[in-house]
Amino acid sequence: MFSSTPLYLCHFQWHAVASWTWDAQDETCGICRMAFDGCCPDCKLPGDDCPLIWGACNHAFHLHCILKWVNSQTPQAHCPMCRREWQFKGSE
Amino acid sequence: MEESTSPDCKLGILETLDGEAIQEIIESYNGFCATAKSLLNGAGDLSVGTEFVSYVHSLCNHGLQSLVRDHFLRALEETFEKVGVLKFWQHFDAYSKGSCQEKNKPLNYDDEVHQVLCKALEEICSEKQYQEKCLFMLVHAIQSYKEYPLEGKHVSDSERVHLFAKYQLMVSSVLMASLPPHFPEMLYWYFKGRLEELSIIMDGELEDKNESQDKDDMDLDEKGKQRIGEMDIDESYNNGKFSEKSKLVKQIGKVVRDLRSLGFTSMTENAYASAIFSLLKSKVHNLAGDDYRSSVLESIKAWIQVVPLQFLNALLAYLGEAVSYESPTTGLKSPLASRPSSCYPGIDTPSEGLIRWQLRLEYFAYETLQDLRIAKLFEIIVDYPESSPAIEDLKQCLEYTGQHSKLVESFISALKYRLLTAGASTNDILHQYVSTIKALRTIDPTGVFLETVGEPIRDYLRGRKDTIKCIVTMLTDGTGGNPNGSGSTGDSLLEELNRDEENQENIGVDDDFNIDDKQAWINAARWEPDPVEADPLKGSRNRRKVDILGMMVGIIGSKDQLVNEYRVMLAEKLLNKSDYEIDSEIRTLELLKIHFGESSMQRCEIMLNDLIDSKRTNANIKATIAKQSQAGSDLRENEISLDILDSTIISSNFWPPMQDEALIVPGPVDQLLSDYAKRFNEIKTPRKLLWKKNLGTVKLELQFDDRTVQFAVAPIHAAIIMQFQDQTSWTSKSLAAAIGVPVDVMNRRINFWISKGILAESGGTDSNDHLYTLVEGLVDSSKNGGNSGSCEELLLGDEEGERSVASVEDQIRNEMTVYEKFILGMLTNFGSMALDRIHNTLKMFCVADPPYDKSLQQLQSFLSGLVSEEKLELRDGMYFLKK
Repeated sequence: MFSSTPLYLCHFQWHAVASWTWDAQDETCGICRMAFDGCCPDCKLPGDDCPLIWGACNHAFHLHCILKWVNSQTPQAHCPMCRREWQFKGSE
Repeated sequence: MEESTSPDCKLGILETLDGEAIQEIIESYNGFCATAKSLLNGAGDLSVGTEFVSYVHSLCNHGLQSLVRDHFLRALEETFEKVGVLKFWQHFDAYSKGSCQEKNKPLNYDDEVHQVLCKALEEICSEKQYQEKCLFMLVHAIQSYKEYPLEGKHVSDSERVHLFAKYQLMVSSVLMASLPPHFPEMLYWYFKGRLEELSIIMDGELEDKNESQDKDDMDLDEKGKQRIGEMDIDESYNNGKFSEKSKLVKQIGKVVRDLRSLGFTSMTENAYASAIFSLLKSKVHNLAGDDYRSSVLESIKAWIQVVPLQFLNALLAYLGEAVSYESPTTGLKSPLASRPSSCYPGIDTPSEGLIRWQLRLEYFAYETLQDLRIAKLFEIIVDYPESSPAIEDLKQCLEYTGQHSKLVESFISALKYRLLTAGASTNDILHQYVSTIKALRTIDPTGVFLETVGEPIRDYLRGRKDTIKCIVTMLTDGTGGNPNGSGSTGDSLLEELNRDEENQENIGVDDDFNIDDKQAWINAARWEPDPVEADPLKGSRNRRKVDILGMMVGIIGSKDQLVNEYRVMLAEKLLNKSDYEIDSEIRTLELLKIHFGESSMQRCEIMLNDLIDSKRTNANIKATIAKQSQAGSDLRENEISLDILDSTIISSNFWPPMQDEALIVPGPVDQLLSDYAKRFNEIKTPRKLLWKKNLGTVKLELQFDDRTVQFAVAPIHAAIIMQFQDQTSWTSKSLAAAIGVPVDVMNRRINFWISKGILAESGGTDSNDHLYTLVEGLVDSSKNGGNSGSCEELLLGDEEGERSVASVEDQIRNEMTVYEKFILGMLTNFGSMALDRIHNTLKMFCVADPPYDKSLQQLQSFLSGLVSEEKLELRDGMYFLKK
């Protein structure tokens, strides 16, 4: 860091601010209608505590929401959005 | 008597009289008149007595008793008027005019009055005594005449009583008729002087006693009471001062007795009562003064026992033989003692004994002290925790006098005059409000008066814009506004409230469930009715527990507003942090949760949690990057280490809306940021980071040739100054383009560096285009001279425009813009509308998404914004479209 002026920034500490967001195509969860960046109705803390999960059909939901959905559907669960058979992405 | 009243009878007698008898009557009447005259004027010469008696006898023989009596009395009156009264008043003539002026030097005046009064009284009393002797002679004469012919002694006894009563009446009426107007005042001065003298003696005595009887100091009162009860003042003192005191009391007693014998009973009582009261008043004022740190009530009571009551006691005891009402019932168990005296001081009814006097005096003392304290209540509350003894005194006084409404009225007017003015800062008002709550809670635990007093403060505060902010600051910060608490100038109000609450909980642990019959009975026995002033609509006292926080929230209206404001302030604070230390915030949040419930503080909790997560993620990212760079050490040349970058990663949905400004950060930093974001994406896979480049804090150290300066600044300032590393001068346009912000924003922000003396501004070629140049180190070293080298400037939200978070007002404004179209449409249709109507119409039609939920005030401020933007016009309270 050489500069042509008498000013040297010999040392600095940058404390930046960022917001995180789920890299999903949609804004809200199709099941609970809450924002993905928020959390499902059962959770208090967003982020790691209330993750998203993608289905094979590329639809994303709150993990808790889709689990509830899947568990309530017997014998075979379907994606609530596209009615395709529900498979967790990458699980096959 | 009968003869004189019936003229017929008298005429009959006249007919029966012969010349001789008439002659005899005339002779004896003349003789009687002459002897009576000489007797009365004779000044102690009773030699004509026998002659007088014989004349009386002969007149009585002819049934002219009434004539004798009337004439004698008239003669007495004349002489008394001529000799006694005239002389008596002459003594005081000198003071008739002087009394007003001489108020200024009452000491001298008192002494003189004392002497004059004594002398005058002595004279007139001796005169009166002599006359009484004469009268007695007459009575005797009539008596001796009557005695043997017919009736018994009791008749003549009643004759004597009758005559003396008549005489007494005559004396007092003559005196009263010629009473100079200044005489009562003189009496007052006299008694005042005497009482002061006595009080000085007593004070000295009290000190002596305190010295000698230090150990039984406590039962001083009791002793005093006993003494009074036993009516035995002589017993306890036998030192030199006693004689002085008793002499004084005796002197006063004599004066009082003389005055009474002259028929000045009520005037005398008036005089000494008002003297005692004025002395008591000045004593109370003296003791109470302007010092609120000590309780004075007890010492006042003790003083009442010692000085005025002793005086009255001695006085009444001295007069005891002459005055019948000093009966033994006034001793210990008077029925009066059990019921509070209902008579007010000032209305003077004859006292019925010491107990009554004591009650009156104490009531007066309570009232005086209460008035004194009420008048100064504002000051007392200003230094509340220190002045609690004064509050305690006031409480006792009010319990006795029950004049709470006086307090409320006077305090409210003091508040309006001194506190609720534009000059007082909101913080001061709030502090006073809290102190008021605390102080009045002591005086009146039911909170009835507090409600009335608090109302104007609340109303006023509602009209201030910064009230919510101040309340939140007060609640969450220490009074010193020191978030780190290192100053420990004071805990936050919240901490204090919490401590109070814990204390209360500890006291009332067995409140609900463990309540047994016994406890229930005790509680029931403790029940007291609400004060009369209580509003029956407000529910019983149990529900009206005084809750400081509740009253604070009551100012704002709803706790949501308060929580929202707190969230904004918290966001501001967190975003400007350069570390992850949030212990004090967590503590505050926990306290707030206790009071406002977990759910309303949810968002704030997530915000704090973000900080905790950020810390962890930050460490995580740095660790993995370090590993990576070790593995493949192909760092580019200009690369700066990730060590200098920390980040706060927020869950934006739960934070208040942020100020969003574009900013181009310097290249290397930008590179860092994207590396960081990439790492984040790798660690937390489907999540990614969105930088808010204008937010955060940059700590930097500027090194010039000769000095080093440290700053903590906003990113935009850092971006600006870093541009000067490569180029010493920039025009504002090119600089703004380089950092990617509008020119006006840049011009505003760069002022920071100009004010620090780092950059200098000079008018460029274009008037809109300024030229900024880096100041060479030497120029302003004088300016920063003292602290050059290591001056750390903190710049956290220093200007309104530089806040990271949109303020609540801005948020509301943004929300309101949705309705702008509605409002404009309405006005196009209706032409003009009043505020109320717009409000109601919006409420009626904007029910769906987003529903209209703003208050009238919010609408009004929004509309006035539109007016200033010249979209609307306001005339006579009606809004129009601007044409």
